[in-house]
Order: sequence, then C-alpha cells, then structure tokens
Amino acid sequence: MSQSLRPYLTAVRYSLQAALNLTNFSSQEVERHNRPEVEVPNTSAELLLQPMHVSRNEHEQVLIEPSVNSVRVSIKVKQADEIEQILVHKFTRFLEQRAESFYVLRRVPIEGFSISFLITNKHTETMKTEKLVDFIIEFMEEVDKEISEMKLFLNARARFVAEAYLGEFVY
Amino acid sequence: MLHLRPENLLVQKTLTEAWNASESGSPLTLDRVISDFDYTTLHVSNSPDNKNVLWLSIKTKAWQSVSKCGDGFLEHLQSKYSGFSGIAPVGQPEQGYDYTLSVDLAQLQPDAIVQLSLLKIHMMSFAFQLAFHEFSLLSQQAQDPASFSGSNDTGTVRQLQYRDDENIFIKPSNDRITVIFETFFQDETDKVFGKVFLQEFVDARKRNRSIQSAPQVLFSHEPPLEAASVMTSRKADKNRRFITFVLFQRHFQTPELQFSSVCHLALFRNYFHYHIKCSKAYMHSRMRYRVDTFIKVLNRAKLDEKDDGDQTRRTITGRKLVY
Amino acid sequence: MEDWRRIDIDAFDPDSGRLNVEDLKPPYEATISLAELEPKISQLRSAATSGDFATALQLLTSDPPYSADETAKARYFEAVLSVLTQVRQAEIASLIKQLSSTQIDVLIKYLYKGMSVPDGQKQGGILLSWFEKLTQNSGVAPVVRYLSDRNTV
Repeated sequence: MSQSLRPYLTAVRYSLQAALNLTNFSSQEVERHNRPEVEVPNTSAELLLQPMHVSRNEHEQVLIEPSVNSVRVSIKVKQADEIEQILVHKFTRFLEQRAESFYVLRRVPIEGFSISFLITNKHTETMKTEKLVDFIIEFMEEVDKEISEMKLFLNARARFVAEAYLGEFVY
Repeated sequence: MLHLRPENLLVQKTLTEAWNASESGSPLTLDRVISDFDYTTLHVSNSPDNKNVLWLSIKTKAWQSVSKCGDGFLEHLQSKYSGFSGIAPVGQPEQGYDYTLSVDLAQLQPDAIVQLSLLKIHMMSFAFQLAFHEFSLLSQQAQDPASFSGSNDTGTVRQLQYRDDENIFIKPSNDRITVIFETFFQDETDKVFGKVFLQEFVDARKRNRSIQSAPQVLFSHEPPLEAASVMTSRKADKNRRFITFVLFQRHFQTPELQFSSVCHLALFRNYFHYHIKCSKAYMHSRMRYRVDTFIKVLNRAKLDEKDDGDQTRRTITGRKLVY
Repeated sequence: MEDWRRIDIDAFDPDSGRLNVEDLKPPYEATISLAELEPKISQLRSAATSGDFATALQLLTSDPPYSADETAKARYFEAVLSVLTQVRQAEIASLIKQLSSTQIDVLIKYLYKGMSVPDGQKQGGILLSWFEKLTQNSGVAPVVRYLSDRNTV
C-alpha cells in the first residue's frame, strides 16, 4: 500500500466509525414517515451533523454527511486521464445498476462525486457496523486497483493487437 | 480468434452445401441473404430457369466509388473467375444488387468456392490494383532522369467510400503507395478506446524490432496532404481521424503479396473495431466478477441469524419458546 | 410558476418551528471582526517563519474565532493552514502530545476544514498525517465531538 493511501483510509475509517452511530427516527414533518434525514432537503437542520471531508488530493476525496438516522458517503475516484474517466464512469454505472444487491449503494452519486452510499439505521440494525466500514474501505482500495488494472489491460491488448496486425505485413 | 479471415465463411458453407447436394442428384432450393462487414450483402439463389445453376449477387457501399476509380472494373472482376469453369457474370445484375455471378454447380471446383467467397475483397482490390499499376509506371519514370519532373507528388488519388461517412484514399507515387483511412467514432467510449488502439498501431513498429519491415502507420486529426485535395470540398469534422499506411515496394512485389496486403488493409477497420468490442466485453465480464466480490464483502457485514439459535430456549418437544 | 406542487409552503411559515443552519449557531456575546483577528494572524505567521511550531499550535488551538464571519474565518484559516503544512512529518506526533483534549478538538476542526477547501486539498497528504497522529493519540473521540459541535472554525 502506498505511503499516502494508508493515512487516507485510516481517516475515512475513523470518520465513518464516528458517523455510523444511527438511531431510528421518524419524520418530524410528515406523520408515519420515516426517511433518511440527510436526503430530505431544507428541513430540520438540527438533525444534520457536521459534514466531514477527507481528501488525499483534489482528485481523491470522500465526503461523509452524517445525520440522526442516516449517513451519506460519497467517494470521488481518481481520474487521471480520459481513459480513466470513461472506465470510472462505466464501472460506477455498472455498480449503480445493481444497487439493490448492494443495499447501501445510492443509485445516483451526488454532484461532483463518482459514487455515493447511503447507510441508514435499517442497515446498521441488520448489519455489523464494523464490517460495513470494512466494506467501504475495501471498496475504495479495490476500485483504484481495478481501474488501473483495466487501463493496463486495455493498453496491453491494443499493443498486442497492433503488433499482430502489422506482423501480417512482414514477409 | 485474433485475425479476421478475408473470405466469407457463410458463402463458402452455402456453396459447399449446394455443391454436395447437386453432386448427389438432389439440388437444393436456395434463397439466402448473407451479410458481410461494411453493409455488404450477398445473395445466393437458384437461377430462374435451372436449379443446378446458382446466382451469387453482391451489394456494397463501395461499388459506386470503386467503379469510378478507373476503366476495366468489370473486366477485372471477370478475370478473377475466368480461370474457373462454370462461373460467368450475368449480364443484367439481379434487382437491387450491384453484380451477379452465375455458378454452374455441375462444373464447380472446390478452389472456385474459396474464390467466390472472396468476392468482396476482389471487388475492393480493383482500386488497389490500379494503384499498383500506376506505381510501376511512376517508378519507371523516376528512374529515367529525362522525363522525371523531380516531384514525388504525381499519382492520382483514388477514393473508396466503403461506409456512409468513412473513406479509404489510395495514392501511388514513385516510391510508395499511401493508403489513408478516414474514420470517425460515433460512441464516446469507442472514441477513447480507439485512440488508445490507434496510438499503439503507430508505436508498434518503433517498439518491436521484428515488425520493422511492416508499413509505417501515421495517425492524425487533420487530413494528410495526400488526401487533402479530395477532402477540401468536405467540411472538416473534429471527430474525424486519419490513419495512414505507407506501403513500400516490398509489400506488393508479387501478386501473392499484393493480395495479402489488400486483404489486410480492406479489413483494417473491421479488425480494430472488432478488438475494441472484445475489450469492452472483457471489461464487462471483469466488472461482473468484481461486483460479485464486493457483494461477498458486504454480505460479511450481515448479522447471521443462526448464531443466536442456540440461545433461544426450546420446549422438550423441540418447539421454540416464544416469550 | 410551473412547479407549484413542489413549493415547500412550510418554509414560508414563520411559526413552522423549523430550524435552519442559522438558528443552530450558538449565541455569541460578540462577533470578532477581521481587524481584531489580524494581530493573531501575524503572530501565527511569525511563529511559523521562526520555526516555533509549538507556540503556533498552542496559539491556533486556543480561543478559535468561532464568532467571526465566513470571510474572516477564511483569512484566519489561511494562516492556520500555512502553520500546519510547514511542520515536518516527524514532529507532528510530539506536537500533538503537548495539546490538551480541548485543543485537540479544535485542531480536528481545522483538519476537516482544510480537507474541504481546495487550498487544503492540495496539501491533503500532510493534513492526513496530522489526522493519523491525532487519532493515534486520542482515538475516535475527537471525531465524535467534531460531529456534534455547532461551533465552526
């Protein structure tokens, strides 16, 4: 693991541990509603806690927005060039289309980020919080790895294909 | 399957089937439309009056532009098949097609089947053939100092419009033949992937010593000078890409070399688009796998309900005790 | 007004009992203006240039300008950031040890704020190592207190 990745992930881990402290909370506005307060716009500022930014640099950031019964975690994945941009976009979209099997995945990332998770009190009641944090951390590690591997693969394949094609002209 | 074959397998298979059936005395009734790359369709059917004679018709986008390249196009095609008995062009092509050959199954040879499946390549090769011919004239001129004007820029540019918006330009000169592919990508992802692939085509020759003698490949956003004269009338689109292959004499010295070079060049676009699709498919399967592993990690977080099974108290008959 | 169904009428009702961000700000006795902060900023800068980071850190973690307005806070924060980023990696741990728990709570606010503004994000690496040393020293507690504290820097 690279030198600056470790403190980054530790910081996210601590922030998440602190934020994932949720309780069941019925809506104050509408009777018999129970909604993730972090997703409800312009109501009840008292239910929202201080948002936490953890950034490694301009391109790799995590934003954690805690509230009384839900936490929204948004991740900005490193996108160094055009290829990585496309790969990240395709990959996150692929995940979002399968959001129902991920439970905590938000279908649309919030503005400026690559992917968002929404963890509610329902999730922390049925899942171990520690392991949920592990999941987010592992996700962050693997996504970077996956993107760079895919990029390497694409280059390797292109090279092989080009050489094979031009090789046909050698007599 | 790394390379695309120049022949059309389905044509080959159909003709072989028809031939076998006709040999055994029960000719097939055929009416088959076969498609090939670049909007090419081939039609295999029985001739109207004789079941033992098949018609093979072809329709391509490139037909118009190829026939405009020079005289003797039909003769060129005919010469490809004149060596085989039983194959003759039909005077009036079938309705909706560009060219029709009649094939007498009784006289058909296995070699001819292969040649018939190469119909599309033979058609495209006409433009290249003209260029090869012009090249030899030009190079002779260049060796004769009296008539040599000193400029390399003498050959005529031939344009092959093989897709709606995509062209091949072929320009011979006295020491080389330049083949320029004009291409553009509709899909945003294809554009980026295509850029990676094309860059590798350009770099491959520099990197790998064993393919040093392959044609030089250049890649540009602007129309190369060779094709600029034909391009001026068209409005420049910033999505266009130009890939230039520079062929030297070693690539087309003998008819065999000419044929194989033409085959590869004619399939260039298909080849690299095919590999772009392959890469996408591979990435898709990779993402699938990755999603599965993520789900596994997430499922580790779930509380295992069987864990507390031992702690619930049961009655003597084994029923759960509900408080 | 085409989207009238979506108008949040409660927002227009002064008696709705709804709280917004302004309502949640703790009542300050007096607001600090930028002019009042200037001496502290120059003190911080001079401490940083002379390499006296221990003093600088004591200074910035005690009596932070909670009541100042946003522009003043941003000005002040520039000085804080320059102090934090000039400290050498090896010294961070020992500097944090000298702080009291209240001071650590203030420090973590600066760290999170640093990572949320573009200037600080460029220095993400150093802020993250501050964060790491801080949590090694005092665990998750400062993070939790940060979450629920309405005093912002």
